[in-house]
Amino acid sequence: MKRHLLASATVAVAALSLAACGTSEPSTDDAAPSAKPAAQKITVTDATGAKVTLDGPATKVVATEWNVVEDLVALGVSPVGVADVKGYTAWNTAAPLTGDPKDIGTRGEPSIDTVAALAPDLVVATDDLSPDVVAQLRKVAPVIQVTSADGADQIGTMTEGLDLVARATGKTAEATTVKNEFEASIAENKKALEDAGLGGARVASADGYVDANQVSVRAFTANSLLGSVNEKLGLKNAWTVEGDKAYGLATTDVEGLTKLGDVHFSYIANDVDGDAFADNLSKNAVWKSLPFVEDGNVHRLPDGVWMFGGPRSMEAYADSLVDALTKK
Amino acid sequence: MAVISKSVVGRDRPAAATTGTVAVTAGLVLLVLVLAVVDITQGTADVGASEVRDALLGRADAGDSSVVIASRLPRMVAGILVGLALGAAGAALQSVSRNVLAAPDTLAVNAGSYLALGLVAVTGVSLPFLASSGAAFVGGLAAAAVVLGLSGLGKGTVRLVLAGSALMLGLNAVTEALLLLFPQKTEGLYRWGQGGIGQNGFDGVQQMLPVVVAGLLGLLLLGRRVDALGLGDDAARGLGVPVRGTRVTAVVFATLLSAAAVTLAGPIGFVGLCAPALVRPLARRFRGLTRSRTGMPVAGLVGAALILGADVLLRAVVPADLAVEVPTGVVTTVVGSVFLVVMALRTRDTDAAEAPDRLRIPGRTAFLVTVAVLVVALFAVVVGAVLLGDAKLLLGDVVNWTQGRSGRVVTYVLDARVPRVLAALLAGAALALSGTLVQAVTRNPLAEPGILGVTGGAGLGAVLVVTTVTAASSWVIAGAAFAGAAAASSLVFGLAARGGFRQNRLVLLGMGVFAGTTALISLVIVVSDPFDTTRALTWLSGSTYGRNMPDVLPVTVVLAGALVWSAVRRRELDLVALDDNTPRLLGLRLTRARLGFLVAAVLLAASAVAAAGLIGFVGLVAPHAARALVGRRHARVVPVAVLLGAILVTLADLLGRTVIAPAQLGAGLMTAVIGAPYFLYLLVRTRR
Repeated sequence: MKRHLLASATVAVAALSLAACGTSEPSTDDAAPSAKPAAQKITVTDATGAKVTLDGPATKVVATEWNVVEDLVALGVSPVGVADVKGYTAWNTAAPLTGDPKDIGTRGEPSIDTVAALAPDLVVATDDLSPDVVAQLRKVAPVIQVTSADGADQIGTMTEGLDLVARATGKTAEATTVKNEFEASIAENKKALEDAGLGGARVASADGYVDANQVSVRAFTANSLLGSVNEKLGLKNAWTVEGDKAYGLATTDVEGLTKLGDVHFSYIANDVDGDAFADNLSKNAVWKSLPFVEDGNVHRLPDGVWMFGGPRSMEAYADSLVDALTKK
Repeated sequence: MAVISKSVVGRDRPAAATTGTVAVTAGLVLLVLVLAVVDITQGTADVGASEVRDALLGRADAGDSSVVIASRLPRMVAGILVGLALGAAGAALQSVSRNVLAAPDTLAVNAGSYLALGLVAVTGVSLPFLASSGAAFVGGLAAAAVVLGLSGLGKGTVRLVLAGSALMLGLNAVTEALLLLFPQKTEGLYRWGQGGIGQNGFDGVQQMLPVVVAGLLGLLLLGRRVDALGLGDDAARGLGVPVRGTRVTAVVFATLLSAAAVTLAGPIGFVGLCAPALVRPLARRFRGLTRSRTGMPVAGLVGAALILGADVLLRAVVPADLAVEVPTGVVTTVVGSVFLVVMALRTRDTDAAEAPDRLRIPGRTAFLVTVAVLVVALFAVVVGAVLLGDAKLLLGDVVNWTQGRSGRVVTYVLDARVPRVLAALLAGAALALSGTLVQAVTRNPLAEPGILGVTGGAGLGAVLVVTTVTAASSWVIAGAAFAGAAAASSLVFGLAARGGFRQNRLVLLGMGVFAGTTALISLVIVVSDPFDTTRALTWLSGSTYGRNMPDVLPVTVVLAGALVWSAVRRRELDLVALDDNTPRLLGLRLTRARLGFLVAAVLLAASAVAAAGLIGFVGLVAPHAARALVGRRHARVVPVAVLLGAILVTLADLLGRTVIAPAQLGAGLMTAVIGAPYFLYLLVRTRR
C-alpha cells in the first residue's frame, strides 16, 4: 500500500516536473529592458508622503479601487487591471470602463499575482490598502497611494487624488478640464435649485441594507463626499448622527430617521443588490409616518452613481439629485 | 403514628414544591416584564419612557407611537420569542441527549441554519420569510442530525462538543467564504451572523410566532416521554415509551425552534446552553422544575431574560447609534463563554478518559517509507504552490528566479508568491508541532491549540494591534499574538491543571475561551471599522494574503528552535505523554518539563497565527494522523506530524489562491473545509 503510494507520488511529481519544465518568459540574459531617457522621468509625492519616480508618463496602469479607476477613465487612460470589474460596471456608470481591463480580484484583496503578471508601469491604490500589500505591490511596480476619503475636506481630497493620478500619467491638462466641468456642473445645478426655490433645502442622503429583518440605514453626513457635494449645491445637511473620520458615514436604523424631520430624503440603491427602502421599508409604520415619506419627498437616484467616486460620479450625482428634487 | 407522619410529608412536599415552582416562574415572568419595559424605552429615536407611556395610552403623536409600535415592540417581542425558543430548545436537547452541553450552538444547528441562509442570500433569490425560515430549518436539522449521529446520545459531553464544534467551524468556514466571495450581496450578513433582535415591523414576529408556539407545544406534549428518557433507555422502554421516536421528535421540535430564532434574529450565541444551565441549580431546590413540562418553559423564560438583559445592557452602556452596530449575539456569547468556563470547572469528569487509540507499532521501514512519501508529497505541493496561481509559471522560471536572472514578470510573480507559500508551509508545520506538544503534555488526544482557545487568544491580541496601530511591524503583531495566546493559555491551562488536565475540563475550558475570544474579535471588528470588515475578516479566515518575507521570520525562528528542542527532548516527551508516575520514578521533574513544552506550544501557535491568521484543525489532525501512521514515539511522530501540517496548509493555501482566482479564500477557511470532514471521520472511527 505504502510502496504503491510512494510509486504513484514519484510518478506524479515526475510528470508534474516534466510538464512544468521550460520557462514562460526568457531570462534577463536574453532580453534586457529598454531604458528610457532620464529626461522624461516624473517624480510625484503620493498621499502617504512617499516619493515615487516613474520612467515617464505611465500608460499601463492598474487600479485597486473604483474611485481611482474612475479618475483614470476620466483622464482618458484605459486601465489594464481593475479590481472587481463586474461590480464597477454595475455601480459606476458615470465613467464606463474603456479598453478591456483584466479583473485583478476584490477591492479589499487585489491579487498580487495577477497584478504582477500584467507587469504594469504604475499601480494606483488608496490608503485603505494595508501597508503589507502595498509593500508587495511596490516590488511589482511603482505604487502611488491616493487618500480614499477624508472627512475634513472630501472634495479637496477627491480633486487632489485626481491631480496625483494626472501627474503620474501625464494628463494634467485633462485633469483641469475634468475639474472645470465638475465646477461648471455644480454651479449650473446650484442655480437650477435656486430657481426652483430649493436653495438651502434640507437634504439627507443615504443608502440602506437589509440584514435578516433589520434595515440598516447608512447616513452620508455633512462630512461625507455626497454630503459635501450637497452643501456645495447650496443644500443643507439634515443628519444629526456623527460620521466616521474618513468617510463621514454613520449607521442608524429606521427609528433614527425620526430625528430628520421635514427633509428631502435621497438614496442610492442598485438593481443588482436590491432597494432596501422600497422592498423592505415601504410597509413599515415608522417609515410611513416619517414626514418626508408622507409628503412624497423620497427620491431614489438612478443606478450607477458611485457614492465614493471621483468628479465624474459627483457630476452625475448632482445632476440626478437636482433632477429628482426639481421634478415635481 | 408513622403512617400519619408519612402521609403528611407525602402531601406536604408536592404542595411546597408546586408553590416553589410557581414562585420561581412568577419571579421570572416579572423579571422578563421589567426588562421588556426598559427595553422599549431604549433606541435611536428620541422616544423615552414618557413618550412610550403616552404611545401605549394612545396619547402620543403619530410619529412616536409608530416608533413604539413598529420598532420597539417588535424588537422586544422578538427578544422574548427568541429567548423562549432557544431556552426551551436547549433544555429539550439536553434532556434527550442526557448531556448538559447540548444546545443549538454545540449541535451546530445555528451554523447549519446560517449557512443555509447564506446560500439563499448568495443565489439572490429573495425568498419569502417563511421559506427562508424553512431553509434555515433544513440546514439546522441536517447539522444536528450529523452531530448527534456522530457523537451518539448520552455518550459523554466531550464527543458532542467536539463533533458539534468541528462541524460548526467547517460550516462557518463555508459561510465566511460566501461572505468574502459575495461582499455586496452578503453585506450585513456578517453582522447579522452575530445575531441581533432588531426588527423591521411586526411581520417577522407575526410569521414566526406560530412556529415558535407549535414548537413549544410539541415539546410540552412530549414532556412526559422526555422525562421517562431521563430514567434510562431500558426503563423508558419498560414504561412503553418509544425511545427512538421520542428522541427524534424532540430534536425536530428543538431544531424548529432554533431555526425560527435564527430566522428572526440570526444566531444568538449560547442562550440555549446557558438558560437550562441556570435552571438546573434552581431545579435542585424546587423539584417541580425537574419535570420537562415546567422545566422547558422556565428555561425559555430564563432565555428571554438573558436576551432582553443583554439588549438592555448594551443600550445602557453604549450610545444608541453605536448600539445599532453591536450585535446582541456578541454580548450573549461573551456571557455564555464565561458560563462555559464556570461549568467546566464544576463538571466532574464522569467520562472515562478516552482510551488511548489502539495502534499497531509499525516498524522502522514503515516509518522511513512514510517520511519519504510525505517529503515527496510536500515537495510536489510546494512545487505546485509556486508554479500555480493566477499567472501559471514553469519550473525553468523558478530556476531562473533562484539564480536571480529571471525576466521581469516572473520575478514579480515569484517575489510575491514565494513568501505566501513559505508562510503557509511554516504556519502549518508550527501548528502541527504545537498540537503534538499539547497532546503529549495534556495526554489528551483531542487537545489542540485552536480548540484550547490559544489561537483565539492570539487572534484577539493580533486583531487589537492590527485595528489600532496603523503600520504595525511583523514583530509587533507577533508579540501581540503571543501576549494574547499567553493570556488565553494561562487561563485555560491554569484552570485545567487543578484537575490534572482531564479531558472534559480542559476541552470545555478551551471551547469557552475560544468562543469568548472569537466573539470579542467580532466586536473589535464591528466597532473599530464598521465599513471595512473585509480586512479583518480576511485575517481571521487564516490568510497568507499580503505576506512579505519579514512576516515569515518570527515563525521561522520559533519553529526552528522548537524542532531542535523537541528533537533533543524526545524521550521526555514520550515520558510526559505516558502517565504521572513513570517520569517521576525516572527522576524527571514533571512540572517543569510540562511547563516547558506548553510554553513552546503556545509560542508556536502564536507565531503561526501572526504569520497566517487563524488556522484551525491542523494542530489536531496532523498529530493524530501521524500517530496512526507511525505509532506514538515522538522521535517519529514529530517529523511526520510537522510534514503533514506543512502539506495540509500549503495545499489549503494553494487551493484558496487558485480556485476562484483572481479573488481568493483564506487558507484557514480551506483547512476547515478539508479538516472538518477528516475530524468527523476520526470521531466516527473511534466510535465505540
